[in-house]
Amino acid sequence: MKRQLQDYKSVIEPVWCPGCGDYGVLASVEKALLNLDIAPENIVTVSGIGCSGRLSHFLNTYSLHGTHGRAVPTALGVKAAHPELTVFAVGGDGDGLGIGGGHIAHAARKNVGITYLLIDNQIYGLTKGQTSPTSPLGVKTKTSPHGVFEDTLAAIPIFLAYDVSFIARANGVDTKSLTQILMEAISHKGMSIVYILSPCRTFPLLDSKGLKAILQPLPEDHPRGDKLVAMERAYSDKPIYTGVFYQVQKPTLEDRLQNVIKKVCEKENGGDNYSLDKVLKSFA
Amino acid sequence: MDNSNYHSEVDFAIRIGGEGGEGVISAGELFAQVAARTAYHVFTYITYPAEIKGGFSMIQIRIREGKIYSMGSAIDYLIAFNQQAYDTTIKDLKPGGMLIYDPDEVKIENNLKAECYPIKLTKLVTDATGSKLGKNVVALGALGHLFGVEFYVLEQLIKDRYGSKGGDVIKNNLNALKAGYSSGEANKWKPKFKLVADAQAKEHYMLISGNEAVALGAIAAGCRFVAGYPITPATPIFETLTDLMPKVGGRAIQLEDEIASLSACIGASFAGEKAITPTSGPGLQLMGEQLNLASMLELPLVIVDVQRGGPSTGLPTKTEQSDLKFAIYGTSGEAPRVILAPSSVEDCFYQTIRAFNIAERLQMPVLILTDQSIGYRKATVRIPDLSKLVEVDGSKLTDEILIPSPEKIEIARRIEMDPEKLNGYKRFLDTTDGVSPITTPGLAGGQYLSGGLEHDETGKASYLPDMHLKMMRKRFKKLETLSNALEKNPPEYEGSEDAKIGVIGWGSTEGAIREARLLAEQRGILFRHLHPKVLSPLPERQVRHFLAGLKQVIMVEENFTGQFAHFIKAKFGVKPIEIHKSEGVPITPEEIFNGIEKVARIVDETTIARL
Repeated sequence: MKRQLQDYKSVIEPVWCPGCGDYGVLASVEKALLNLDIAPENIVTVSGIGCSGRLSHFLNTYSLHGTHGRAVPTALGVKAAHPELTVFAVGGDGDGLGIGGGHIAHAARKNVGITYLLIDNQIYGLTKGQTSPTSPLGVKTKTSPHGVFEDTLAAIPIFLAYDVSFIARANGVDTKSLTQILMEAISHKGMSIVYILSPCRTFPLLDSKGLKAILQPLPEDHPRGDKLVAMERAYSDKPIYTGVFYQVQKPTLEDRLQNVIKKVCEKENGGDNYSLDKVLKSFA
Repeated sequence: MDNSNYHSEVDFAIRIGGEGGEGVISAGELFAQVAARTAYHVFTYITYPAEIKGGFSMIQIRIREGKIYSMGSAIDYLIAFNQQAYDTTIKDLKPGGMLIYDPDEVKIENNLKAECYPIKLTKLVTDATGSKLGKNVVALGALGHLFGVEFYVLEQLIKDRYGSKGGDVIKNNLNALKAGYSSGEANKWKPKFKLVADAQAKEHYMLISGNEAVALGAIAAGCRFVAGYPITPATPIFETLTDLMPKVGGRAIQLEDEIASLSACIGASFAGEKAITPTSGPGLQLMGEQLNLASMLELPLVIVDVQRGGPSTGLPTKTEQSDLKFAIYGTSGEAPRVILAPSSVEDCFYQTIRAFNIAERLQMPVLILTDQSIGYRKATVRIPDLSKLVEVDGSKLTDEILIPSPEKIEIARRIEMDPEKLNGYKRFLDTTDGVSPITTPGLAGGQYLSGGLEHDETGKASYLPDMHLKMMRKRFKKLETLSNALEKNPPEYEGSEDAKIGVIGWGSTEGAIREARLLAEQRGILFRHLHPKVLSPLPERQVRHFLAGLKQVIMVEENFTGQFAHFIKAKFGVKPIEIHKSEGVPITPEEIFNGIEKVARIVDETTIARL
């Protein structure tokens, strides 16, 4: 029986504010999964805290809504234990670039095969409007009542420096392109980050119209394997590019772990796993 | 243990002390290995300085016919590499004991009541190898001669240990070994005791540390996932598991910090794997939020805290029992978890298996509290008979699941959901024992939402007052389920029913308290000794049974404030006399005995006054 979009929806109705960009993200995820025909039971969605962290509630997957900033290492544990699963980590700009920012570097070094949806609305929306690492300089927020005085974090150059093996930026409102990018990210072997700009209606720093004006797809001939070109385009603010900035193939964490098992058992035990008896006797 | 029967039974302790980086500990461990291949039991105790080189470092090896419970109170042989080793340790040498020292490094006092054997370690090694390195191997040679170990046995040991380091290293070490061995012969040292190899020993016994025992317990329990971050003194568990996991088809990953480590374990457990993370106090603190999450998600996993001296960076290489309160209560809100405290190296193996069984059975995190002294202690442990190992369904709670032993080891499987019964599946179904069915990813129709937000039985977030109360009850009911099962176990205490004094300890002090009890019995003082392995939830009826009829309770702990005592006082309304040791080193049987003797006098006087 052919799967329907409905198969990816949980019984829980989304609770985001009307007009929130996250609706577009959710719809695109469902569409991408349907297009790729991935069985819902083989999908694990791990999310952090914030508006975007709620995404896991609305998907009919094995869903884990964890703590603030720890979606990536939690998803890493799932994928390392069961490589056959399709694993998402989901979080916002505060979750992923603030409190949990330190984890991305190491997940990237391991190249764990998860798809990380980093949904940026430039504000802490759930807690009603505090400064996030991507809030623009000078903007007034609840915790920057006299204007944000810190520089804005540029996420894509950081991911490039970490050598995340698949890096894309997308407009959350443009579900058609986002779906395409998500399908590529999910199919990518290794760690993929889809950095999604998702306007907040309640504390509007980004708006759909404004986004449309400054966003522009990367040139058709953008070389995905060229980190320096990607870096240059990642720093561009007029226009802000969308699309896949960078994609390279390298061994995944799952492969690396499997290789250690293979190497050790072949070298030391003729290819078989050690018996418990042999393990204990090696301490005699 | 007076002078007259000094050598009459096999029970002696050797201490080697010197500068960190001089190889004191590796020499001691090699000697312990020789001793373990005999018919005797071996027990080691190590202190490292926190620095890689420099600072005082020592190893103590106790050798005995039959089981050994503690490192003992005093030593029979002291090998002092330098003045500091001598100054710090000479008070522990028994009258008539033997001192082996380097006369170029150590000035000894006159009138020392000891047999003194000078040996110029530095000179011997420089003459033999042209370098100052290898004093430790000279000492090993000398010790080998003193205990009648055949030279070839030591030679083989050196080859095994340094084999991978190439020809020159082996050659120099063998020269150093020979120099030490011959020096004993040339100076006509009287061999004290012959350590004769016993072929059976290698078949039936492992010589392992408490840390290794935890790692082996995890492997035996079917754990195939470890995520961790190095931290003294828990690192050896992680190192051992990173070596063993791939051998048994498992996965070992070093993460960027303790938060990520426990996160990865939560992920692995959610995916259906048995997972463990080893850490020490500061790491456990970082894990607090994820520990809470694991309790809320009702996921089985095991955390080992090898406690060290705190607070803050504290004493990374020293021992302390000071994380108990944090382990029991240390998270926001109230999140049930189980705390186990192994009491010996062998017990580390079995309690780790038990931790996994309880975690699977109750779907919650289980913390194992060991400490530096037990983690680095090595002891001969009988290899369990693996034909006694059986896998059972996690839902079948039997007494055996709770106490694995060499005679019977049950390994709990995850409570799996019957795919036929998925209709109306509720992941957090409120059941009579609080434990709900669980599905793992891959099972069609078993998808569920699990989160740190308060939720209803399906997993959906809910902030209703009734729901919060209901789910709090449900989660805590699982602790009740466990403590009800524990009440059925035979009482975990030792000693005379007639005793008026009761001693309560936990964790690594068990052996020292037991030896103190034997010492006290010789002097006519009776006490009984409770040493719970499950510290939380504490089986209350069992404790009350122990307390019944006692005139005085004494609590022995290696911490400053008496953490377990607070717990016992609050729960049972007793007023114990507390013996604390907060010096970074383990309490000795003699220290405990001295405390108990004082109490015994008071208790006796009261008795007399009443009469």
